[in-house]
Amino acid sequence: MAVNDKSPAVQGKAEVPENSAPPASADPSKAVLKTSRRDFLRGGGMLSLSSLMGTAALMSHSSDARAAIEWAEHFQKNYRLMTPEEKNEARIRLEKRYSAEYGKTVTVDTTEAQPGVLMGYALNVRKCIGCRRCVKACVAENNQTRGTRPGERIEWIQVLRMERGEFSKEKMDHGYPEGLGIQVGGNAYTPAGQVLEGQYHYEPEAVPEKDATYMPIACMQCEKPPCVKVCPVRTTYREADGPVVIDYNWCIGCRMCMGACPYWARRINVANPVLPKEEMNPVTHYLGNRPRMRGVVEKCHWCLQRTRQGRYPACVEVCPVGARKFGNLLDPESEVSLILARKNVFRLKAELNTFPKFFYFYD
Amino acid sequence: MQLISFASDYTRYVLKGGTKFYAWMGSLAVLIVGMMYVFYLQNTDGLIVTGMTSQIHDGLYFANLVFLVGVAAGAVTIVFPAYVYHHEGMHKVTVLGEMLAITAVIMVMMFVFAHMGRPDRLWHMIPIIGIYSFSSMLGWDVMVLTGYLILNFIVGFYYLWVKYTGGKINKAFFMPLVYISIVWALSIHTVTAFLISTMPARPMWFHSMMPIRFITTAFAAGPALIILAFLIVRKNTTMWIEDSAIKLLATIVTWCLGIAIFLTMSEVVVELYARTEHANGLYYLMFGLHGLTSLVPWFWSAVVLMVVSFVLFLIPAIRNNMKLLPIPCVMAFAGIWIEKGMGLIVPGFIPSPIGEVSEYYPTFVEWLMTLGIWAFGFFILTILLKGAIGILQGEIKFGGQAVAAK
Amino acid sequence: MNKLATYTLVLAFCVGAYYAAVAAEKTTEPAKEEAAQAAPAEAAKEPVVCFESRKGASEITQREIQPGWPNVKCSPTTGAALWYGDPFDGTVPMGKMPLLDKIPEGHALVKPRSEKLAILPMCGTACHNGVGPAFSPPKLPKDKKAVPIPTMEGLLPEVKDLQHGRGRIWCLDCHHTTQRNKLVDHYGDPISFDQPQLLCGKCHGDKLRDWRDGIHGKRIGEWASTGKKRWFTCTECHNPHNVQDGARNKGFVQLQPEPPPQLPMGMKDGKHEKLHPIAH
Repeated sequence: MAVNDKSPAVQGKAEVPENSAPPASADPSKAVLKTSRRDFLRGGGMLSLSSLMGTAALMSHSSDARAAIEWAEHFQKNYRLMTPEEKNEARIRLEKRYSAEYGKTVTVDTTEAQPGVLMGYALNVRKCIGCRRCVKACVAENNQTRGTRPGERIEWIQVLRMERGEFSKEKMDHGYPEGLGIQVGGNAYTPAGQVLEGQYHYEPEAVPEKDATYMPIACMQCEKPPCVKVCPVRTTYREADGPVVIDYNWCIGCRMCMGACPYWARRINVANPVLPKEEMNPVTHYLGNRPRMRGVVEKCHWCLQRTRQGRYPACVEVCPVGARKFGNLLDPESEVSLILARKNVFRLKAELNTFPKFFYFYD
Repeated sequence: MQLISFASDYTRYVLKGGTKFYAWMGSLAVLIVGMMYVFYLQNTDGLIVTGMTSQIHDGLYFANLVFLVGVAAGAVTIVFPAYVYHHEGMHKVTVLGEMLAITAVIMVMMFVFAHMGRPDRLWHMIPIIGIYSFSSMLGWDVMVLTGYLILNFIVGFYYLWVKYTGGKINKAFFMPLVYISIVWALSIHTVTAFLISTMPARPMWFHSMMPIRFITTAFAAGPALIILAFLIVRKNTTMWIEDSAIKLLATIVTWCLGIAIFLTMSEVVVELYARTEHANGLYYLMFGLHGLTSLVPWFWSAVVLMVVSFVLFLIPAIRNNMKLLPIPCVMAFAGIWIEKGMGLIVPGFIPSPIGEVSEYYPTFVEWLMTLGIWAFGFFILTILLKGAIGILQGEIKFGGQAVAAK
Repeated sequence: MNKLATYTLVLAFCVGAYYAAVAAEKTTEPAKEEAAQAAPAEAAKEPVVCFESRKGASEITQREIQPGWPNVKCSPTTGAALWYGDPFDGTVPMGKMPLLDKIPEGHALVKPRSEKLAILPMCGTACHNGVGPAFSPPKLPKDKKAVPIPTMEGLLPEVKDLQHGRGRIWCLDCHHTTQRNKLVDHYGDPISFDQPQLLCGKCHGDKLRDWRDGIHGKRIGEWASTGKKRWFTCTECHNPHNVQDGARNKGFVQLQPEPPPQLPMGMKDGKHEKLHPIAH
């Protein structure tokens, strides 16, 4: 512990919320009762009015802390418009609810963007071996749902497998349309260098494969994010230090942002998230990895709960080949700035003018 | 005083009817109950009960939403000839068009509710208590739809109110609203088109032809439905709708359908001539992609329905025959429903912006919800049309006894 | 509960088997077989151990730093380290390196490889001790072809056909002549196994520069350019003895990937992805 007590994550965890409630239901039977009651409540929550009546009825009958918390959460403001006091209240509310729900001390960080920091990311496409460790690290860190029904498992990073393709002498004379002269060469459709052909479910014995290259894709944290523009309630917005975040409590689940994103970075929680207690990461950020709820959209936020505390994002830390680089674009000595200064970089779909702060590079 | 008696007379009139009426309303009510149940499911279990995924996150609901905005806008095909061209036959039935518009907008809003992941939070969109975003097309769409609903409600019910009390229409108040509603009708569908055509992430939708395509298909599908409604009204109520009105609508359907087919054809040529990666969506729709072909039969059936109905509309013997006219109307309506609904929305997501190909299979929940909302729409439409006809025919009158419809 | 227990057992078994296999790599052939046979028996008791960058280079044993807060999370499928609860677990200061002055004292850390390479000091005392007829005067082959010694080949099978440098370099270009627990620099001075970059940089200067600037290689901890980081050294990711093995595609040995994403609702498999969108 002597070596690691300056570790930001551990530091974050050491902060025990002042008003944190003890784990509410150690007794499993009680927990079941509570869940069913909450489900009832949620059912009633179809319309604001019925939810109002349901909660009111519930509160008059019992002093269920969770109901009160959910009630207050339901009517809280958009996070960006909250005063510091309101943010703190929201934080304490969530810490109480999560701690009770997951049976451990959960912290909800509300650290704001630091001045002089503009986060940037760079990925060496030549290095990537397609092992998907970043994908799983992201899930371990960010409390995504991990159920078994289709749609219940969310991963923010997709790893694209691209074929190297081959050109053959045999195909040379087999153009289309046949008989009308060769309009299209027989080797036209070899997928060499075809970026968005879409192989995501590859499952070889071992990677990297000889005949393939890989390219991970996640949120690009655009400087001009189309998802932010289309949000009808402004629940998704760009933070001052760069990442595009979501206030999960304000999201109405209309999924316009998902349609507008050219990188397919966003996911919808189609069901009540499945997050086992023992796997839940208790160090969270309000705009980051705190557990989400049914019906809201979520996405990569560059591990705000880590990066705002100075720590690398989880995907950077597990990449076995060191293809992932993260740093401050305003610091000329940072990894990302040096890559921009020294390497050949490109932005994915640069023609869309979204100006990602996620750069692909090769050396 | 007058207002109370209007409300009570209106209510008493629309609630009375024969066996046929109750049977119709009863069967609709069964579907509505089913819809409420699946709505409950969606908001307890979540959207997992639907076929929507993170890959294809707009499905049947969004498709119906888009289509019904068109139907709502289509009502302008009655209002416009009536007030701008002073078409006699149309003038008498304008209010029926407005009732249809009200119904369609209400249905659109129900599909919005069905579509949302968190309908309980929709108040976040309301200015002051929530946040209204001027940069969001969805925000604008909700605004123009709400405006259109209010406009049609005022225009329609003011007209009925005047008829009911036997007073005179205040033209200084009424006419500006009518003209606004005409332009507004175009705006709702234009904004809905912008909703999906302003996303370069989805190349299939990202072209400036979308608004005009939306409007032509709307002005084909909307009047097609109105013709059907008029023929039913003619058959089942005391109200006689003139042939001239129906024929004018048939002409509008014919040419809007013609233009719609032409636009679809242009798109196919432009996209498939170059056959870029951006044409993958359309290619999926027409022929399938990566061996996945579930939408192909939908597309080709829509093509057949639209083209055949267009040809039928062109034949005067059919267009002018009130017995045969419903056939091309139903075909055009169904064809456009497919082409503009599932055929437009779903392939926009296939492949995903990063090339992942998956397919969309609507679940029973989605079909039941869709059916239920349509049933709800017909439920309201029946009531609104019945009330409106009652007043127009003078069966409900201030001071007079409400007479039950036959 | 039953399910969980089974799962844990399976996990423990897999990791145990893997650990045994790794252990076997360090020993001789007959020992390997023994270890493989012994593996199932030991499995249940073995703690969860996962490998970091490449298999066989470095491992971490999972433990709890605080209740509910492990030092590392391991992949149940591949046994790879997936998440660091404490990035500085078991590290030591990296030691001096030219042009790294901007980084404050103690902010550059490495994980010592000495534990892993525990056998090395023995090499120096037992055989390569600088005494004996071979060393006075030193008689090293001029053609840089190592004399095949069965013991050596048994210990490190991959050196049998050393491809590093395509036959232009040999053992003692990197390993110190007399101090076998050390590497060697241009002047013949020893380099610690914890600082292989000083050796590798002799030839791969561009890579050294990029590594020093954080562009090449892997670092974990704090992202600020002057932050406290654990630096992964060259040999934690690259095995210098088998850089040219046949199955590799990049400068990295092949490994098992993590499982693919969940198929979206309605999709039965991902086979369609292999079909190309345009028929030809």
